Amino acid sequence: MKKLTRVLSPLLILFLTVASLPVAAAPQPASSLISTQDALQADQRRSDRERINELLARQDVQEQLQAQGVDPADVEARVAALSDEEVRQMAEHLDELPAGASVVGALVFIFVVLLVTDILGLTNVFPFTR
Amino acid sequence: MPSNLNHLLQQNARLAGVLLFILALGLISGCASGPRLASPAEMGVTEQVKLDHVPFHGQRDYQCGPASLAMALNASGVDVDVDTLIPQVYLPGREGSLQPEMLATLRRYERIGFVIDGRFETLFQELDAGHPVVVMQNLSLPAWPMWHYAVAIGYDLEDEVMIVHSGMEPARLESFKRFDSTWARSGYWAFVALPPGELPVSIGPSRAMDAIAAFEHAQGTEASLPAWQATVSRWPQHAMAWFALGNAQHANGDATAAAESFEKATDEDPTLTVAWLNLGLTLEGLGEIQRARQALQQAASASGQWQETARQALIRLDG
Repeated sequence: MKKLTRVLSPLLILFLTVASLPVAAAPQPASSLISTQDALQADQRRSDRERINELLARQDVQEQLQAQGVDPADVEARVAALSDEEVRQMAEHLDELPAGASVVGALVFIFVVLLVTDILGLTNVFPFTR
Repeated sequence: MPSNLNHLLQQNARLAGVLLFILALGLISGCASGPRLASPAEMGVTEQVKLDHVPFHGQRDYQCGPASLAMALNASGVDVDVDTLIPQVYLPGREGSLQPEMLATLRRYERIGFVIDGRFETLFQELDAGHPVVVMQNLSLPAWPMWHYAVAIGYDLEDEVMIVHSGMEPARLESFKRFDSTWARSGYWAFVALPPGELPVSIGPSRAMDAIAAFEHAQGTEASLPAWQATVSRWPQHAMAWFALGNAQHANGDATAAAESFEKATDEDPTLTVAWLNLGLTLEGLGEIQRARQALQQAASASGQWQETARQALIRLDG
């Protein structure tokens, strides 16, 4: 075991040093401008940790969508089209976000109340009230 | 307890219940009179609008989201049907479609979803400009919500009705009062879908830029370039718009145009440090070292989150 470490350690050190060299030595390419999204979100500083969280949130939303019955083949493209802000919204509040569907689970009492409010013109549940 | 006392109590309870019900109804209807509107002249819109170029797609089951999207996309020139959209936006577990995904799906068809200010005036202005508006409504009461998407395609100020493609009914007439009540329960959420290069008439620069930035994130800078160009021609004094245009131009390989846009941004707002920074970096890439140094010095002189990046760029330039 010790022998192995003795052989591995210098190799690892060498590897890590070489790997980090380009970052330390070569100048950053002048083309890496500050992006518009970063500049627009300048108030909330985007640290590396936040970027990682955003990646995780995307993963999280993918899993949630799949759990909600979305075809796995569609999930990736759906999440890719979301902005960072929307991903955050979905990751944190997927269950609370209103889902447009236009069906109500109605009990008789609710039925009567809604009928009255429909007639008063406050709601629009029943197509036959105008 | 004697039985007739019991009977009396029961009757009182019933009476109290009925009174409570009437009171509750009074309260609900009391706070929901129709919306108060300015005159058409004040709003700058025509009295009557009906957009005939918006096709109707009837919804099946819970598919008002995909149906509304199909209508909005068709109206803006995208050929797509409801069946294609269902797997892209409908969420089976919730038996409905969510607002963020409605906007996201538009991006997949090269359209930008602009969330507009939720007021009747803006609704009229967009319709008057020929833009159908997708609205979210809660057709029921907050306690038993019945979320619904519909497409507003017109209005009549004299008859006080909205014209909406809704559910199974094309060009349904809905009184302002009822439309207002149901729309209010979604927090007046509404959007228009437009191709890059067109902007809603009622939108302000920051909302427009957020929508375009989200589009750019999904579709890339080549697709978003016309949208930024439209933004600077609508708001030429808006430094951030010039900055965003510069970034899109740079990403598309036009560094010279990008440098000009960044310079415009610094002209409009000399305190926009991030524009000085990108101007300096772009000029550096163009080999204009002297001008690059000047711009980077401006960026490095202002304290804030970009100062360190600017300093490092200066060191690199002189090193």
